Amino acid sequence: MVLSQHIKSCAKVFALGTFFTAALFSGLAQAEYAFNFQEPVTEVARDIFGLHMLIFWICVAIFVAVFSVMFYSIFAHRKSKNYKPAQFSHSTTVEIVWTIVPFIILVIMAIPATQVLIKMEDTTKSELTIKITGYQWKWGYDYLGLNEDISFFATLSTPRNQIDQFDKENAEPLGENYLLETDKMLVVPSGRKVRALITANDVIHAWWIPAFGTKKDAIPGYINELWFNVDVGKEGIYRGQCAELCGKDHAFMPIVVKVVTGAEFDGWVAAGGSFEGVESIAAEQSDDALEVQTEETTRSMMDAILPAAQAADQPSSKTWTKEDLMSKGESVLANCSACHGSDGMGIAGVFPAIAGSPVATGPVDAHIDIVMYGKSGTMMGAFAGQLNDEEIAAVVTYQRNSYGNETGDVVLPADVKAKRN
Amino acid sequence: MSHAATAGDHSHDDHDHKPPFFQRWFMSTNHKDIGTLYLIFSLSMLFIGGAMALVIRAELFQPGLQFVDPHFFNQMTTMHALVMVFGAVMPGFVGFANWMLPLMVGAPDMALPRMNNWSFWILPFAFTILLSSLFVPGGGPASGWTLYAPLTIQGGMSVDMAIVAIHMMGISSIMGAINVIVTVLNMRAPGMTLMKMPMFVWTWLITAFLLIAVMPVFAGAVTMLLTDRHFGTAFFNPAGGGDPVLYQHIFWFFGHPEVYIMILPAFGIISHIIPTFARKPLFGYSSMVFATAAIAFLSFIVWAHHMFTVGMPLQGELFFMYATMLISVPTGVKVFNWVTTMWRGSMTFETPMLYAIGVVFLFTLGGLSGLMLAITPADFQYHDTYFVVAHFHYVLFSGAVMAMMGGAFFWLPKWTGHMYNETLGKIHFWLTAIFFNITFFPQHFLGLAGMPRRYADYPVQFTEFNQWSSVGAFGLGLSQLLFLYIVISTVRGGKKATAEVWDNPEGLEWTVPSPAPFHTFDEPPVIK
Repeated sequence: MVLSQHIKSCAKVFALGTFFTAALFSGLAQAEYAFNFQEPVTEVARDIFGLHMLIFWICVAIFVAVFSVMFYSIFAHRKSKNYKPAQFSHSTTVEIVWTIVPFIILVIMAIPATQVLIKMEDTTKSELTIKITGYQWKWGYDYLGLNEDISFFATLSTPRNQIDQFDKENAEPLGENYLLETDKMLVVPSGRKVRALITANDVIHAWWIPAFGTKKDAIPGYINELWFNVDVGKEGIYRGQCAELCGKDHAFMPIVVKVVTGAEFDGWVAAGGSFEGVESIAAEQSDDALEVQTEETTRSMMDAILPAAQAADQPSSKTWTKEDLMSKGESVLANCSACHGSDGMGIAGVFPAIAGSPVATGPVDAHIDIVMYGKSGTMMGAFAGQLNDEEIAAVVTYQRNSYGNETGDVVLPADVKAKRN
Repeated sequence: MSHAATAGDHSHDDHDHKPPFFQRWFMSTNHKDIGTLYLIFSLSMLFIGGAMALVIRAELFQPGLQFVDPHFFNQMTTMHALVMVFGAVMPGFVGFANWMLPLMVGAPDMALPRMNNWSFWILPFAFTILLSSLFVPGGGPASGWTLYAPLTIQGGMSVDMAIVAIHMMGISSIMGAINVIVTVLNMRAPGMTLMKMPMFVWTWLITAFLLIAVMPVFAGAVTMLLTDRHFGTAFFNPAGGGDPVLYQHIFWFFGHPEVYIMILPAFGIISHIIPTFARKPLFGYSSMVFATAAIAFLSFIVWAHHMFTVGMPLQGELFFMYATMLISVPTGVKVFNWVTTMWRGSMTFETPMLYAIGVVFLFTLGGLSGLMLAITPADFQYHDTYFVVAHFHYVLFSGAVMAMMGGAFFWLPKWTGHMYNETLGKIHFWLTAIFFNITFFPQHFLGLAGMPRRYADYPVQFTEFNQWSSVGAFGLGLSQLLFLYIVISTVRGGKKATAEVWDNPEGLEWTVPSPAPFHTFDEPPVIK
């Protein structure tokens, strides 16, 4: 067969292949399924999306071109059609061409990729800096350089009985934002360059908001940087998840960011990220999406994770009874039961049981110490920076008087305070 | 000839005189029997690792936790990878090397037969240790197969067991690699110059050098992990001034060449199957050799593309992006050569050929998604999502594993003396290829839409594609029982195979009878 005929036939197969690929994609795109990146809301995310689609179509073209030739050959050059095999085994010209042409295609890809990368890595001239800290398994946020001292933790707010579907009778149906909802949200302004300094407290995590086009590892001992500048007019709630395996509850530490206008943000900061300010945000959140979450449960969770720094400033003249401590302890307990189990039984070998444990039934001091300062070489983290005196006292009291632990001990906030520093 | 220890005892005997059962299968120094042992081991690990994958896919069929807790889920993802990489794929290719290299270069056996025995027999013990770690308090390692610090510093005693097992596998791999190099460089038949060697020999020779270069690096990384865990060092522990990112650099300096260790022998197998069924010589033999060498070289300077998100300086990111993109040039050359080998051939489509075509097609798809992953800014979005999971299963399953299956069908008649059932073989190919794509193609979309990998549970918008993937995975897993049946029934009987088996194939292995006698090439053949 003459070569030009081959080329014509190949071109037909190529055209057909391209048509089917395009048809497949436009057809699939209409279905309910999510096939591609989330809608980008920052300039960088749009650049990445453009780059991604450019590379994608180049790859599709290469794929269709190569396999048009292969499938044409499979249909035409078969023994069953008595095709007589050629015996050529090399062609220097062809081999040089298909080394150089891909190289040129790579250069064409590399140029826009380099441009976008340089833009992404330029964290200068930011207007707001937030420190983000990964914990097993929650995120801590500190707003730096503001007049107001705003810092808080954000923990998964999806109820446990939605997640645990082992026992169908007690399980609840999944909410709309299942695993993508937190008790508190990071609040950032649109139209301003926000720089994030990212680190971790225990193991490596990764902070990722797909719509912002940002993902960076949170590494203990390192401070990584990223930046984003959300378009004005794109205010709303954006959700992401931890993207580096960080242990048991890796899937359960989402990231929720509320983007507000610059003016709203300034108002929020002026209110000091105070309880009222946060509450209004939380209320908006439930308006927006979280029908499952009542304001009451939000409030109790807020209580539970109120930052230690703020709490320490409040005069703690309250006289704590055992009952107070027990009920408060129960509300803080989620911090412990993530690993040690809601029945306090843990998982043998990695997460020791609290029920009947030497720590929770032995000397009180050692118990407070391990809760406050953790245990190195294990997953037991230090909670001194995450919980305030009342909360630590309450949870230690709770653990010493439940799960069948009958020590009768009462730990007062003052005992904890004495151990700080 | 310098094949000192090999032919010795039995050379005067009848060719098919075999030692009694225990001596034959436990004390063997015969390359064919050791090859068989390796292949049986690899196939059993494929089923064990596959069963773990099915636990993962069962849990991911629906959002919410239905079957296993997240801690056990993480053990399954970790062990699935360790078992598949170190138990199924690497020993599988060593099995092919043991069987085929001496037959292909015209040598009577591997150069170091006793070491050959030892390098195999380490493996069952290594995997006993690794698999039994699932049953110690705290369960198996749960930090992902990459064993990233500081997560591994937190783990239970199973991490130590995994480290010991990895050291043993490393010793086994290095000994296997030394054996390959010594055999290939010293025991080729007279007249077989390096540039006349079959492609599978070439790819394995280069793979062996990669193994020797990087397995000690991995051993070093896990040893540092061990001393961090127990002996008070702080290589990777930031609390003691250590550096968690250092672990990732060392790991991926091993890990990237490792992925080529798993794919280069597959390239070799494909380069034998396609010319045979196209009835046409391999196109561009010397460019194939140079492309393999180029891939091996580049594999040492691209490692950090696995860790673009750790916060490298811009210059580092650019270097690793450009270097990674370059790999697609020699890889492209290989694909073009295979397609051109088919071009104007006279093709038939027996099972091995179907596998070879399937590998070229699906591996290239995985290669192109790899090219997308090389683009650093886009990789920030793909990194640690199901897009990556889809990518590496396209290159590892439909690349390495399907190449081994194709190779098994290709050489099974030579090994057993029987033809396999062609109809069943074809059915197995189509089941595998179709279910593979149902399993892994939707994972591209999951990743792009934002589903992170190593998640025991996921938001509801990912449900549909996960269901596709789970259904596909169970189909894929069950289809492999058919493979087992075909292999066993071919070993037990079937149509007698001729020495050539196929239509005028090229290579010394087709000059010996089928099944290949216990001892071959006592007298070296002469290559003209």
